[in-house]
Amino acid sequence: MPEGQFESLRLELLRRGVTALYVERTILELEEHYSDLESAALASGVGADEAARLALATLGNERAIAAAILAQPALLTFSTRYPRVAQYLTLPGLPLMFCIEHRPELTRWVAAVGLAVTLMGTVLATLNWLIVLPPH
Amino acid sequence: MAQTNPPFLTGVPELLVLRMLSGREMYGYEIVKAMRLVTGEAIGFGEGVIYPVLHALEEGGALKARRKSVNGRERVYYNVTTKGKRRLEHLSGEWKRVSTGVNSALNGNGANGDPEHA
Repeated sequence: MPEGQFESLRLELLRRGVTALYVERTILELEEHYSDLESAALASGVGADEAARLALATLGNERAIAAAILAQPALLTFSTRYPRVAQYLTLPGLPLMFCIEHRPELTRWVAAVGLAVTLMGTVLATLNWLIVLPPH
Repeated sequence: MAQTNPPFLTGVPELLVLRMLSGREMYGYEIVKAMRLVTGEAIGFGEGVIYPVLHALEEGGALKARRKSVNGRERVYYNVTTKGKRRLEHLSGEWKRVSTGVNSALNGNGANGDPEHA
């Protein structure tokens, strides 16, 4: 089978929101099915090129396969099936996602602010002690 | 997305897949071969469209899939679950009801008993 035979189908399915698990499974099964069809055609005595052509024709064109997959809502991701719900669920989570994404910078920032507050507090406390302390 | 089947045919691919798998576990290519054999190749389709049907049935809990390495080939075998058996019974009943009705119409049992004026 030519390398990357179903690559365009794989990309199309991922782009259209099919669950990655089922995309990978579909591609694996189509490749195996193609090999079975090609072997059967070769065993019947046709040449390699004709066997490959027959196998692809029997499997059906990629557009029809993609349409059949996209017609099954159960195979689509949650955000593809319910885009509005996903949008409303995602919005409150954005600040959290931002924090997770920029974790190292935020850690440094929190440490720097903490250090600055501690230093400033120490300086102010010392000054306060010096000013308030009655002279002996 | 346009429907690939008229509404009244919805359920036929599921019915055939579940029927094929009710005897033993099979992988996609085997299911299609069995289907062609038992239907006398009456139903024509691109064989690749069997996979969305299998995956949707699996997602709905009617089938269970497991990967198996056979002679260096990675096969995905499907098995009918208890839920799948119930679904098969339901779909079989529906299909018998519809086919009885259609046969009755084809055999000339029109509303007034005369198919020409039914």
